[in-house]
Amino acid sequence: MPPILPDFSSSVKLKYVKLGYQYLVNHIITLTLIPIMIGVTIELIRLGPNEILNLWNSLNLNLVQILCSSFLVIFIATVYFMSKPRTIYLVDYACFKPPVTCRVPFATFMEHSRLILKDNPKSVEFQMRILERSGLGEETCLPPSIHYIPPKPTMESARGEAELVIFSAMDSLFEKTGLKPKDIDILIVNCSLFSPTPSLSAMVINKYKLRSNIKSFNLSGMGCSAGLISIDLARDLLQVHPNSNAVVVSTEIITPNYYQGKERAMLLPNCLFRMGGAAIMLSNRTTEKRRSKYRLVHVVRTHKGGDDKAYKCVYEEEDREGKVGISLQKDLMAIAGEALKSNITTMGPLVLPASEQLLFLITLIGRKIFNPKWKPYIPDFKQAFEHFCIHAGGRAVIDELQKNLQLSTEHVEASRMTLHRFGNTSSSSLWYELNYIESKGRMKKGDRVWQIAFGSGFKCNSAVWKCNRSIKTPIDGPWADCIDRYPVHIPEIVKL
Amino acid sequence: MATTVNIVCKRTVVSTKAIEPGKYLPLSVLDRFMEKNHIRMVYYYQTSGELELGKLTKKLRETLSEMLTHFPIVTGRLLRDDMGHWKIKCNDAGVRTLEAKAKGSVEEWLRNVDREKELELVYWEDMLEKPYYWSTFYVQLTEFEEGGLAIGLSCTHLLADPICATRFMKAWADISLGNKITSPPIFHPLPPQRSQNKKPNNNSNPYMGLISHYKSIIEKPIFVKEAKYTTISMGFSHHMVQACMSMAQFIGSSSPSPTPFDALAGLFWVTLSKIKGIKNGFVDMSICLDVRKILGLDQGFFGNSMLYNKVHLEENLNLDLTENKFPQATRAIRDVVAKIDNDEIMDLIEWLENNDVNSSKMMNVHDLIITSLEDVDPYLAMFQDMFKPIRFSCYIEPVFGEGHVLILPNPLDEGPLGRVVMVTLEEEDAIKLCEDDFILLFSPTILMKCVK
Repeated sequence: MPPILPDFSSSVKLKYVKLGYQYLVNHIITLTLIPIMIGVTIELIRLGPNEILNLWNSLNLNLVQILCSSFLVIFIATVYFMSKPRTIYLVDYACFKPPVTCRVPFATFMEHSRLILKDNPKSVEFQMRILERSGLGEETCLPPSIHYIPPKPTMESARGEAELVIFSAMDSLFEKTGLKPKDIDILIVNCSLFSPTPSLSAMVINKYKLRSNIKSFNLSGMGCSAGLISIDLARDLLQVHPNSNAVVVSTEIITPNYYQGKERAMLLPNCLFRMGGAAIMLSNRTTEKRRSKYRLVHVVRTHKGGDDKAYKCVYEEEDREGKVGISLQKDLMAIAGEALKSNITTMGPLVLPASEQLLFLITLIGRKIFNPKWKPYIPDFKQAFEHFCIHAGGRAVIDELQKNLQLSTEHVEASRMTLHRFGNTSSSSLWYELNYIESKGRMKKGDRVWQIAFGSGFKCNSAVWKCNRSIKTPIDGPWADCIDRYPVHIPEIVKL
Repeated sequence: MATTVNIVCKRTVVSTKAIEPGKYLPLSVLDRFMEKNHIRMVYYYQTSGELELGKLTKKLRETLSEMLTHFPIVTGRLLRDDMGHWKIKCNDAGVRTLEAKAKGSVEEWLRNVDREKELELVYWEDMLEKPYYWSTFYVQLTEFEEGGLAIGLSCTHLLADPICATRFMKAWADISLGNKITSPPIFHPLPPQRSQNKKPNNNSNPYMGLISHYKSIIEKPIFVKEAKYTTISMGFSHHMVQACMSMAQFIGSSSPSPTPFDALAGLFWVTLSKIKGIKNGFVDMSICLDVRKILGLDQGFFGNSMLYNKVHLEENLNLDLTENKFPQATRAIRDVVAKIDNDEIMDLIEWLENNDVNSSKMMNVHDLIITSLEDVDPYLAMFQDMFKPIRFSCYIEPVFGEGHVLILPNPLDEGPLGRVVMVTLEEEDAIKLCEDDFILLFSPTILMKCVK
């Protein structure tokens, strides 16, 4: 969407005008202060030291006044520092790397599909078409129980998958951060579709023998955006509890949710969802500041559940044969777009530089007062962020967001490559994407990252992080053995 | 007796590295000729008891996965090319793998095993209508509850002959020990046709050998007798085979001593002819040999290179004297073995290619077939945590006609001449074979009896 200025946007001159405008508005305070300060300094120099001393004595300040004013200053400073929210640091995080033996190439997936659904060739055709256009690669992984012909999703195997994913990620996290299990004060586990009793957080507490006064939470049913909901919860808890560590575990357990029927709308998740998980360590301790990777700046949550269509667009239900699956409606993309717009409206003022906000304000006023036909100005978020992590929900989601936010190929590269290498790992996909950016050596101190997640409900949640220290490659993580092969070109349709 | 082998699960094992898409491997004429056959092998192992059996199977699957990276032809699927010939698309689909449990221990099983039971240890599915979704190789891992493991490998003869199949297992074993594969598989077409300046094809030569044999197979209508076949397995010790070899020679002959294969093949040819009631002469017989060395193929060549050739007896033989029968038979076999040379094989290949052979023929429909698997060394397949295989069985299915005799090495013996012979015959013939005096002369150990 071009701005209201006349259409010679391809001209180089306009580019410089834009840059000048941005610099001017963003640094307006500095630009006004500097002349004032120069003026004052010149004046002081002109007056000379004796004159300044005379000025000071003429104020007739006595001890009481000086004491009161200093107390006032100290008091205001204390109130300010006390009421400032605690800074939340992301010390480090670890992503689960699935074992190579769980790999599912396209050919195997299609063969199994054909063998299991032999009476429904149309459903098999549908799955094949989805897989061809999905943007997934040949190295995505499914849990062992789904490899059987037919799949054997038992509760035991679901627990087995949960243990494999969560414990691997946590062991990796402990190793990276040197965190001792006894030092975890807050534990939040989010897994949308598998919720056993005792909960997954209880499972973690049992395995690592965590403290008995731990504050543990288990979020289930909240969809793919639950990862950021957990981060938000952790942040709020860390405001209340000083000097604490929080561990957030985001995962999705595929085993019990593999749809075994033939309804097409419900077969879609089978094609896209894959095994994955991440464990994140957050802290509000000032001692962690030095080694933390990121600092949490904002979390913005938007819920469109109030709208019936949004509520029903990702819906878990039984099909005609009584088999449970998640059905996705056709208007999913449109609803996602709407949710994103809501989220941006709240996020914009928090992160956008003054120049963009001013432009947006001007167009808004202009549309309301002068001419409703003016195109709405879409703020350029590329000026607010260096990196974008878009939930790898599917190729369509990434395409849609790339279009809406006017992002370049490099900005969405992390998302596309994560989708290719790991598939849709639900709430943990944002962490794989972040790891990709780090593995490529693109994360420098001061860089701002925007994580956007969508989930059933329909929710759009975002988190903004600021990089605390430059991260040097090579880094240990799920991308370690394959980062050199990326980015790959992903064809529109893969011929199966 | 009730089935004591229970299939626990079925899945597909894929390789650890993704294959570049768009790779195809063609199949040679020799491969395509074997379309109707399949191979089934069983390896028996005693486990050390350190690892729980479930864990052992898991480790085996993981090593299988790693090994498959070297065998893209095995994880691919069959497709027809423009000329209607089979080829393999290397689409990384994987190998079907089954896990099963059996009661008792492996030794107990081996004491009571027969053909039907043994075949339960190696799963096989005939080609589906749409072979693109059909796995060409099957692996079955059967754990014995009281100790021991059986690995069953079955595959279509289109892709591999028994020698390749054993190399496949050896490669798997190498990987499980953490080593590199000793002879990595190579997939290439058979040696190309020679240039035009070869010696002229003398049509006057009556002995066309290979070509005439294959031609007769193709032209003969398939007539399949409905009969029940059973398999017996006999082990011959080193000394016994030596005795057999000396008996196979004409008394006072100065010609070189027959090989163990020649002698044993002769022995069974003579005996089976007698059992089948053929008084004058012998039953129709062909031998099947590995010709890798003759063709100069590399150790790692993966593909069919076993050829069949008919064994005729010379005219004017004095077969009334029974003492002469055995040496005559052995000599006839030796002659055929010695005669096969590179030129002849190349001629055959050329002939097969030019005549665009319809592969719906089967090799072993009529004659008694005696196959030499002496180049196979299945006992080299030593896996981690399991030692040498304690038994090895091989079947080339389906069997029709007069029957099938497989001659395999037997390392459980001290000497290098020991052999195991697996004979698949009609039931009545099999029973008679076990009781035949001539065979019993060599005191074979009956490893597998007939079904009663």
